[in-house]
Amino acid sequence: MAGTTIGRLSLWRNVRVQRFVIQAAFAGALAAFGYYLIDQARDLELGFDFLEGRAGFDISHQFGTSYNRNDSRLDLYIAGIVNTIRLAGVGIVLATLLGLAAGVARLSGNWLVSRVATVYVETVRNTPLLVQILFWYIAVFLQLPRISESINFPPDRISFLPFFDVPFISFDLAFLSVRGLALPWATTNDGFSLWLIFLAVAAAASIAVRFWRGRRQERTGQPSYPNWWLLGTFAAIALVGFAIAGGPLDPERPVVGERSYDGGIRLTAEFTALLVALVTYTGAFIAEIVRGSLQAVPKGQTEASAALGLSPFQRLGLVILPQALRIMIPPLTSQYLNLTKNSSLAVAIAFPELVGVSRTIINNTGQAIPMFAIVMATYLLMSLAISLVMNTFHWRLTREGG
Amino acid sequence: MRGTTQIKAPAPFPRQARRWAHDNLFGGVANTLLTVVTSLFLVFALYQILRFVFVTAEWEVIEANRRLFFLGRFPVGEEWRIWPPILLVSALAGLTVGLRTRLDLRSTIMMVLWLAVGLTPVFLFFAHGTVGILTAAAVGLAALGYIGARIWLQDSRYVALIGQLVLASWLLTFPLALVLLVGFGGADTSLGIDGVDPSRWGGFHLNILLAVVAIVASFPLGVLLALGRTSSFPVFRVASTIYIELIRGVPLITILLMAWLVLPDFLPSFSVPVLAPSGLDDIELVYRVMVALTLFSAAYVAEIVRGGLQAVPRGQIEAAQALGMSTARILALIVLPQALRAVIPALVGQFISLFKDTSLVFIVGLTEMLRAGRAVAQGQIEFSGREMEVLLFVGLVFWIVAFSMSRLSQQLERNLGVGER
Repeated sequence: MAGTTIGRLSLWRNVRVQRFVIQAAFAGALAAFGYYLIDQARDLELGFDFLEGRAGFDISHQFGTSYNRNDSRLDLYIAGIVNTIRLAGVGIVLATLLGLAAGVARLSGNWLVSRVATVYVETVRNTPLLVQILFWYIAVFLQLPRISESINFPPDRISFLPFFDVPFISFDLAFLSVRGLALPWATTNDGFSLWLIFLAVAAAASIAVRFWRGRRQERTGQPSYPNWWLLGTFAAIALVGFAIAGGPLDPERPVVGERSYDGGIRLTAEFTALLVALVTYTGAFIAEIVRGSLQAVPKGQTEASAALGLSPFQRLGLVILPQALRIMIPPLTSQYLNLTKNSSLAVAIAFPELVGVSRTIINNTGQAIPMFAIVMATYLLMSLAISLVMNTFHWRLTREGG
Repeated sequence: MRGTTQIKAPAPFPRQARRWAHDNLFGGVANTLLTVVTSLFLVFALYQILRFVFVTAEWEVIEANRRLFFLGRFPVGEEWRIWPPILLVSALAGLTVGLRTRLDLRSTIMMVLWLAVGLTPVFLFFAHGTVGILTAAAVGLAALGYIGARIWLQDSRYVALIGQLVLASWLLTFPLALVLLVGFGGADTSLGIDGVDPSRWGGFHLNILLAVVAIVASFPLGVLLALGRTSSFPVFRVASTIYIELIRGVPLITILLMAWLVLPDFLPSFSVPVLAPSGLDDIELVYRVMVALTLFSAAYVAEIVRGGLQAVPRGQIEAAQALGMSTARILALIVLPQALRAVIPALVGQFISLFKDTSLVFIVGLTEMLRAGRAVAQGQIEFSGREMEVLLFVGLVFWIVAFSMSRLSQQLERNLGVGER
């Protein structure tokens, strides 16, 4: 009987019909909106041909790309992508380190240290990033001395407040001036490829040794220090290889030149200012995440591991951090994505990253819509890549812990 | 003391202090070393900061340009349009805090101290003459509202009614502010009340305006998107998901740049009274930026609200269905109140970040506070080189608002008992 009742139900009262009609109407409205947009865009003569045209201008920062003004706009865009990736990549690593340090410091038993960390976090988090970027670039880096009067590190003298001034090391490793930052680095020579082979062997051997020691520990219950063995094996083979290859790396110190530094790693003032701003800003957010997830690990875990006789370092490294990491990773991922997206604020100080070069291309060609489509697609791809890496890491962590 | 219960006398202060210092600063070699190194760093940093603030810095640049910082190129003589909403908001804020919170004595003292510390420089350096009187009036109204609510209203029989009145007034402030600013019918109307050309809006006033518009508009849109994403209708789900992920995957700058460079191409050319008298495709950049901020923020609000929706136990919905409630009533009366309550702290966090993000309209050329500050440092010869002072001041103003908002949200969280039930 129930079946016939449904059969006699008027059409517009049937839930399935209702659902279908509502969704069809919504999809229709969306389609109409899409058609309207396409229709509006039709007379703008859009296309992607402009990417092959000659770019016609140089950019101030390049890293690993050899773009010049006669190359195509696509080459220019790729140089912009590389700049973004470099900024975001270095930024993510440094922000994580700073955030970890500040997060642990906020929980420190030392009152002074936890206060300093709190002031840092609360100041930086509640100020717009753009203000901070302009502050670091305009008010700090552009006010640094000229290159001929570079600040050197380690300093020749240590002067602390007006009354304390003593001579110190007169051996320079790094320089800082309005031209940017120069750091020591190493260059490779002929033996490098040989050493790379040794490094590959070292990696394989150390993983095998770790596996063996791990099995031994599981079988016998004797502590076999698999991770120390891994490090030891790798270091030993790498060092032997280094000697056999005849020292494949030449350390290189930067030297102050006429208008720029020579040798070492040279970072421009724009890049360094952006990096400092992005790292301190994101680091403050990461510090809060670290603090939250460390506090989320039940106190009983610390107490239990203390009762088992683990040292404070072992407690943190073996018991607390592994559990906190699992809580930490998802919000950490979104901070990494934020940092990557925030690197686009570099437009404000004319650093040629993705959005910056796109602005120039749009100014020169007027092809705003296709260019924005490309920019959005690029950011989505980068976000996807970061999420993928972090999710895999998270998945492995949660799976291994069981 | 004789004859009563034995109360352990507190340790004399020096010993207490010594124990505190031992526990918190000098317990063990590593801890002592840490304290010493941090103190050295602190002394150094404080010396540098104090020297800059009181010796090196020349703060005249701020005082001389305070109008530019707060109002940009707002026409002289039209400032009266800004004050009524500020006074109203002050009074309402005082009333709301007084009605909603049960501050203990310690928090009240802290708040008064905090306000005193914050307001003294304001009156010393900024608020002279009329501005000073009006600022004092705003502070007075807030205090009056707070004290009045605590003493008379909180225990009154009509507390629910008063609460609703306050809420209604809150909803009214926004239209009031806009109407005062835009006028009825734009600049060339015969109605007699004209507005201020949107291209003249600027300074910190513009930051606040953009933030409030985007917050008010993005909230309902975000709730709709969240409902769409959790809907059982696949079309809604897919459309909302694509929108949310697309917006969240892209930096705000690209969306602002699109509102600046691309949006006019897609707008129809018919004219809208008040907002776009010369055609919608010629609409002022300020309005386009408002749309961009709203669309951007809605995606983030949606994700936060979705988290709240998922936190509502299924049993709640099933119980409501068993009672025979319609889907709309279940949503409005059962699900959304619980979901939104659970995510208030996250929403406030999102709104703080939106407020900070209003500084980004700098890049599309609107004279908000940051750009006004840059114009001062670059354009006025007598103040050239005063970049540090200007940027520190701009940062400080943003910080005061954002920090107060975050503290207020923590207080709210405690009062609502989020996470306690």
